[in-house]
Amino acid sequence: MPGMKMYVGIWFGLVVATVAEVVTRSLPGALSLLALIILLISSGKAITIALYYQNLRYEDKSLAILPIAALIGVIILVVAAGMSM
Amino acid sequence: MTEDYENTEEHKSTWTPILLAAGIAIVLIGVVIFWPIAVAGGIMVVAALFKLFKDGAEEKFAQAKESLEEKFPLESLNKEKLGIWIFLMSEILIFGSLIIAYVYVRLSSSSWPVATQTHNVILGMTNTIILLTSSLAMVFALHSIRAGNTRGLRIGLFSTFALGATFLIIKLGIEWPQYYRNGFTINSGLPGSTYFVLTGLHALHVGAGLVAVGYLIFRSYNGGFTSTKHSSVENISLYWHFVDIVWMFLFPLFYLI
Repeated sequence: MPGMKMYVGIWFGLVVATVAEVVTRSLPGALSLLALIILLISSGKAITIALYYQNLRYEDKSLAILPIAALIGVIILVVAAGMSM
Repeated sequence: MTEDYENTEEHKSTWTPILLAAGIAIVLIGVVIFWPIAVAGGIMVVAALFKLFKDGAEEKFAQAKESLEEKFPLESLNKEKLGIWIFLMSEILIFGSLIIAYVYVRLSSSSWPVATQTHNVILGMTNTIILLTSSLAMVFALHSIRAGNTRGLRIGLFSTFALGATFLIIKLGIEWPQYYRNGFTINSGLPGSTYFVLTGLHALHVGAGLVAVGYLIFRSYNGGFTSTKHSSVENISLYWHFVDIVWMFLFPLFYLI
């Protein structure tokens, strides 16, 4: 288990990334490109929280079965909804 | 193997999950049909939660040792942790479907209000930082109790509770009324309904998390946790971080893009 110092460092990084998202939105450029950059930063933040705060990095790799199964479930729901339209 | 298990372990059962599920169903039916029915359902939910907390505090269903076949294929996890992960899996399905539905609606709409004009970016960013800090406080609580530091656990839990409550006060007490005054309501077409449904559902989850953290605070004052016995803190922290993760996507989708 990592020490609190590392967790505080991660928190600082997440706050900086949040400010970076807001700053990115104010930059000139196509909204689609800015949106892509912002969503990449958001995904990075979410993955960091899952890996370190939820300790997934230090858990058994087989635990990945559950979130992957959930994501497959989401895809099935989306495809089903798309087909019914 | 099963016979051995049945012979060596005292058989325990509870009606609480059935009462809780029935209560939630009655609340939902009552909301649609007749509000006093929803109140009755609410009373059932509160009673079930009270019983659930009482059983948890007494460690009524705690098991010292679990057999391998009960844990397969995730041998490294205990049943409680596996349970919370399966619960989080269902939450991924709920939020994942709603977020993807929002993105689909957004992409297929010919016009959509500019996010930075309809939403308060500063309040959204402040709330994001508050939620991130609450996650850090929860990590501190868990880290402390792993080291046997009960005072640190309480400081962490109180901070998490205060920050979570601040998030809700900003969201429901400042931000939403501001939008309503500006004419942006749940009836403002798809932009309004998607925003209020998704952020409302998220706020509901933060509220549930506050109840759970309140329970941990209560237990921490009754000698409930030690350096070797703190699975509730670990499980509720997983839920709290999940709520944080969901917000990491809601913030840019509604406030920036």
